[in-house]
Amino acid sequence: MVNLSFDRANLVFRTEFSLGGVRCRLSTNSYKVLQHSIPWQGGSPNPEAKTFEMDILEDASMGSPTESRTHFRGVRHLVFAMLEPRSFVSYDLLRKQVRGVVSPDAASDHTFWKTQLLPITVGILGTTLGVAPLHCACLTRNGDGLLLAGLSGAGKSTLTAALARRRFAVVSDDWTYISRNRGTLVADGLSAPIKLLPDTVRFFPELHKFAPHKTMNGEMAYEIEPEKFHPVAEFTSCSPKWIFFLERTSVPGCRFVPCTSTYTRHFFKSNAERLPEELPAAQETRSEIIDRLSEYPSWIVRSGDDPHKTAEAIEQFLPEATLGPR
Amino acid sequence: MALADFVHGHDPLDPLRRFMATPLRTRFRVGTTRVMVQTNDFRLLPELPLDTGVDQAGNARFEWKLVRDHDAPGLLEETLLLTGGPLTIASMGPACLVGVDHERGELLAFIGYEVDSRVFQEVLVPFLGRLTTAAAESRKYTNLLNEHQSTLHW
Repeated sequence: MVNLSFDRANLVFRTEFSLGGVRCRLSTNSYKVLQHSIPWQGGSPNPEAKTFEMDILEDASMGSPTESRTHFRGVRHLVFAMLEPRSFVSYDLLRKQVRGVVSPDAASDHTFWKTQLLPITVGILGTTLGVAPLHCACLTRNGDGLLLAGLSGAGKSTLTAALARRRFAVVSDDWTYISRNRGTLVADGLSAPIKLLPDTVRFFPELHKFAPHKTMNGEMAYEIEPEKFHPVAEFTSCSPKWIFFLERTSVPGCRFVPCTSTYTRHFFKSNAERLPEELPAAQETRSEIIDRLSEYPSWIVRSGDDPHKTAEAIEQFLPEATLGPR
Repeated sequence: MALADFVHGHDPLDPLRRFMATPLRTRFRVGTTRVMVQTNDFRLLPELPLDTGVDQAGNARFEWKLVRDHDAPGLLEETLLLTGGPLTIASMGPACLVGVDHERGELLAFIGYEVDSRVFQEVLVPFLGRLTTAAAESRKYTNLLNEHQSTLHW
């Protein structure tokens, strides 16, 4: 048996940083772990952001990976996560506390922190900290944010990459974290890469330079940093202004159909993860944020065109979108 | 992060399997602690002395929620035990994940489908019993400490 105590005296390295609309107070026994917070230091933190505690032990007993596995389970206020390379993390959603043990490989793997541990942590704890994690992409241009939602397989990531090519900055590809700041809504991303399935290479020949690999959910995909599509294509936060729901059709062309606040509210609420009854405040907060978001101008984008033409149509539509749905 | 990406055919709005029903219920005793067990598998009802319903003063109460996880493969691996504060967490690989909340008097566990009745009774039940006893003792100590501190404040 490996018995590890999270005694504060063992966690000598400490820091605080903001990410995804929340604030993390990190304590660890590992200087390598501490360094992963550096990209998140600085900036102007949301004064309304709530804090969670994250205690991380680097321990050699976690060893090297024998087989690749990612495993999540949750019951009531507790969540367990097994991640590769060889890490085990527990989440206490009532006390807003994270405790994890990471292998030396994971402690020194910046990609693991950037694309797995930190996004997963904000995704799991977010609702208890006043943040609504929503399954949508977010892009911004000139400070105005555009949320891009749609059912799985609609082509959000491909369209996100096409918009990045057209000088939209990418805040997030897959999950966007919406919180309140001084009475307005803020959309945050966690600098995760854009995930593109292998067949998207037909729209982006530059993907030939990269190799798809097996992602956490077992499917093969390219995971591409947004700046690969455009040098200034990455941003971490913006104020959302418009919402677009992408729908694929077989009819050529791209049409923008204004949608009601009821549609927007229903879409986000019906696609949100069910939360346990132990977290009533989290459910209420998420619901309030979605209600507020549903008042934003929104359209269904029905497109039978390729992602580049759809991105062009959205770009041309934005001046009209600024006037709101008619 | 798209937890929903890991669903593999399960309810996409419950990627963590939080809402697996545990309709089977009974009461046992672990030492002097009264334990209410709820589970979704008859084979996870522990062979422990049944609770007679006689409540003696000072008996601690605990709740076990044991979820048979039909999507968690593998046998028990070496135990990783994380301790400190009001929680004790144990992992034996995907086949057994346990969280004990001392303050709330709860033991919450997922047990994989390959963990058979013998291993459950001979290995896991004694382990869960020890975790429960330790948590009940720690809760008693915390309560005493709180009472002592509130007395001091008066």
